[in-house]
Amino acid sequence: MHLFTSRGLAYPITVTKLIRQPGDEIDVNAPLFTYKYTAPNTEYDEETRENVEKERTYFSNFESEIEGTVVALKVKVGQVIERILAVADIDEPCRHEVQFGGLCANCGKDMTVQQYSTTTSNTNRAKINNVHGHTSLLVSEAEALRADEEAKRRLLDSRKLSLVVDLDQTIIQACVEPTVAEWQKDPENPNYEAVKDVKAFQLVDDGPGARGTWYYIKTRPGVADFLETMAKYYELHIYTMATRAYAENIAKIVDPDRKLFGDRILSRDENGSMSSKSLARLFPVDTKMVVIIDDRGDVWSWSPNLVKVPAYDFFIGVGDINSSFLPKRQQGLEARPSSTVAPEKPHSNESANAIPPAAANDTEMSPATISSAPVNGDVSTLHRMISMANQDEGSLEAQANEQDQQIAEQMQDRPLLQKQKMLEAAEEEARISPAAEAAVELLASNAEGENIHASKYRHNLLQDDDNELEAIGATLRRIHELYYAEYDKGSTGSKGGRISELRPGHRKKRSLDELQNIPDAPKIMEGIRSQVLAGVHLVFTGVVRLGLDIHAQDIAHWAKWYGAKVSENITKRTTHVIASPDRRTAKVRQAANRGDRISIVNQNWLYACLTHWRHVDEEPYRIHTEARTNGAGGLPDSVEGKEVLLSSSEEEAAQTEEEEEEEEEEEEENEENDESGTSTSNGFGTAQLVIDTDVEELEKYGPTMERKDSSPTETEQADDWADLNKELEDELGSDWDDSDTESVRSDISITGDQTPRSARKRKREGEGDDADELGVEGEEGSRLQKRKREALARTTSLTNVATSVSNGAGNSDAAEEEVDNDSLDDDLEAALEAEMMKGSDDEADEAEKSKP
Amino acid sequence: MFFVKTLEHRIPLHPSYFASDAQQHILAKLYADKEGSNTGTELIIAIIDVEDISEPKVVPGTGQAEYDVSYRAIVWRPFKGEVVDALVTNVVSTGFFADVGGMKVFVSKSMIPPQLKYTVDGSTPSFTDNAEQTVERNSQVRIRIKGIRSEIGAMFAIGSIREDYLGPLLQ
Repeated sequence: MHLFTSRGLAYPITVTKLIRQPGDEIDVNAPLFTYKYTAPNTEYDEETRENVEKERTYFSNFESEIEGTVVALKVKVGQVIERILAVADIDEPCRHEVQFGGLCANCGKDMTVQQYSTTTSNTNRAKINNVHGHTSLLVSEAEALRADEEAKRRLLDSRKLSLVVDLDQTIIQACVEPTVAEWQKDPENPNYEAVKDVKAFQLVDDGPGARGTWYYIKTRPGVADFLETMAKYYELHIYTMATRAYAENIAKIVDPDRKLFGDRILSRDENGSMSSKSLARLFPVDTKMVVIIDDRGDVWSWSPNLVKVPAYDFFIGVGDINSSFLPKRQQGLEARPSSTVAPEKPHSNESANAIPPAAANDTEMSPATISSAPVNGDVSTLHRMISMANQDEGSLEAQANEQDQQIAEQMQDRPLLQKQKMLEAAEEEARISPAAEAAVELLASNAEGENIHASKYRHNLLQDDDNELEAIGATLRRIHELYYAEYDKGSTGSKGGRISELRPGHRKKRSLDELQNIPDAPKIMEGIRSQVLAGVHLVFTGVVRLGLDIHAQDIAHWAKWYGAKVSENITKRTTHVIASPDRRTAKVRQAANRGDRISIVNQNWLYACLTHWRHVDEEPYRIHTEARTNGAGGLPDSVEGKEVLLSSSEEEAAQTEEEEEEEEEEEEENEENDESGTSTSNGFGTAQLVIDTDVEELEKYGPTMERKDSSPTETEQADDWADLNKELEDELGSDWDDSDTESVRSDISITGDQTPRSARKRKREGEGDDADELGVEGEEGSRLQKRKREALARTTSLTNVATSVSNGAGNSDAAEEEVDNDSLDDDLEAALEAEMMKGSDDEADEAEKSKP
Repeated sequence: MFFVKTLEHRIPLHPSYFASDAQQHILAKLYADKEGSNTGTELIIAIIDVEDISEPKVVPGTGQAEYDVSYRAIVWRPFKGEVVDALVTNVVSTGFFADVGGMKVFVSKSMIPPQLKYTVDGSTPSFTDNAEQTVERNSQVRIRIKGIRSEIGAMFAIGSIREDYLGPLLQ
């Protein structure tokens, strides 16, 4: 190690004599050489009888701060040292490369001792923490490199990679609600089936008031098989934001023999950061052989090694009990209603919130239940509000308190029990009134299905139907396979390495060079990942709360990660619209009008793609297929059967003039969207046409084709078309530049004869301004309701089916307007309203069925 | 090494306990505070007896009374160079951790005889010579303490098994 002169010396100094020569031993604080320096000194002058400053020369020893053998001396007698300089090389007997709690692990010396000659603390020599369970063991960079090399050799020999596994909501879910234990003891309980294999443990010095909290752990279905299989391909590590004791207990549950994870458990206590996870904590040198699975991408800063998995949400609304230290999970998209596709059922976006509004929907529910519903059931909303307040200045203590508080709250409020009670209350009502039965069905579907073992009315809240681990396992195996395929290719390619490998005795000794050339797992994953949604352009609608930037959302980030492009508005490149099944927004209609080119699917399609790491078939996930017929551009090759129902003659006869107007409007939209394709013939468009690049594409998908075989509605009113078109063209001349075909905005002057309608249109077509969109939708909602009323007046059963379907859409549209106000009250109100409609419909249906 | 040592402890008592059973409170507090505690250099194993409880003195300003309690206790104090038996808690590639009572000891690879090699057989890491000697989690080892450092409430030590008669104990 180089020995430097210290900063505190009175530079310049002149070396006067060397005391040690190269080869000599030197102790700490032993002199290496002597030197002289000059400094001003205040002296009393006899003659003038006052103090004067005089330059004096002093002599001193330069002392070594480290012990060892002097290898080289870099100073000569007479040399003047002007600044900090390396004066000698000293070979130390111990480099203190591994330190434990401030002690050198190799020589046992105390590293924290500071002496007057010390320039750098010995503790600085080892600063890397690369062991799972301990923060007190630190190693130097060289040592970390050695350890890493060794680990890589070991992994390559056994053809494994490292897999870092998160616990909460990835392979297990925990909750602290005592209700679970009660359900477990009661085989009669509808939730018994689901909770019977929930494991429990008690942590004494944890939780509120340190009075021993019971934790109930549900492992994700198939976790044992998953880990067992993965252990063949990967060396498994646990990395969790929970406490050490908690992590150990979970490890005991998922890995009773400690065979899979061993001691490779890293918890919050050793992490060093309360809000983020870092691979560098475990793999300080490089992460070429590391894969992570976690349900949260943000805590890893979307590390390229991450395989993000959908969060496991078994205890509905509980979430991750250990996440109070993490940045808040973005709500809205993460929690999925169900993995099954049920487009015709109104689903709530957040399963956490699924019950209270639905329960409140029941018109016959006792007032007490209604008033209590939003308070008790929706604990998560409260949490979110608290968290929002806390988000910015999050002192650890506050967060720790928050976690305690959350746990206490969960134990006291028992959200699961409340939800189950609500479910049961609703079904009680159903027994009394057949009209409410439908509401219960709906409720049950919201709470994820029915219990087969219980009677028809005994619905269970919890369901054990998660099978994501299979898909994750397949992905991980694929990564492993590709990695070692690449590795084998690499090692046969480098000839020298191969030959030396074949030579006996050299088999295990891979050169350092070869280790540096091993394939890079993140790159391989990147390669697979970017192919998954390559060429897919997504638009989200109705799934993210208004006012939130879609690009800041987890889901958008996640999709982009897989090669998808995300935009705010529907453009000519858009291929998929991710919509909410219960809300037919303007964008959905817009997309429907674009024809088959855009698939309108629910979020589950995206999730399926993201978990399976491949572009899955959209067909089972398609929603709003009826939107195409409700909108003006009926599609010739639409596959769904519902369309037939909707376009029955009764339906179309029921249309009012107002509706025609609406359709007309939508025609306009159509026309506008594909303007550049069709407007070649009209004199207005020619000037602007030059700008657009994909005329061909637009012609291909443009509504001119659709028009030929559009829905009966349109054919019947065909005579109007000429007029309409003309009117349209008039407007379009001024209006079309607002269309979202992403053409360069030209400076068309807006003509004075702009009709009010086109102004309104402009609004809708504008920058995706949601507030405006809402206004329009509200109007349409009321029109739809009107249509519905009129349709109801007709008496054939066929119409009834048709109307009730169209009805559903109408209702949700009406509701949407309110829901989007972002306020809970409105949410509730809207849900109530929607349910009331539904209820009355059902009654009407009932009445009519009994008629013939 | 174990010692019997006379120690002193000053305990403040809240005025709400000023009653005939004040002494009981003081004793209970003494046992709760001190038994099993780590002073940094030594570990108090057990209190043998209480020799003296002083007259309480009211602290000006707080109203609390202070008792000086002197007691005898069995303490354990590790010394550099001492040979102790330890229980292995964790094996990592750079060495292993062991507990000697309340003290954590780390035995680094350079302090382990070279014939004991680090292996990860069946995911349970261990240092083994593939014969009779194996150091893994929960095995007992005899180690020599090479260095000790004290912090308030914690002791760290470095151990060695690179000597004759040290290393895993045969069970």
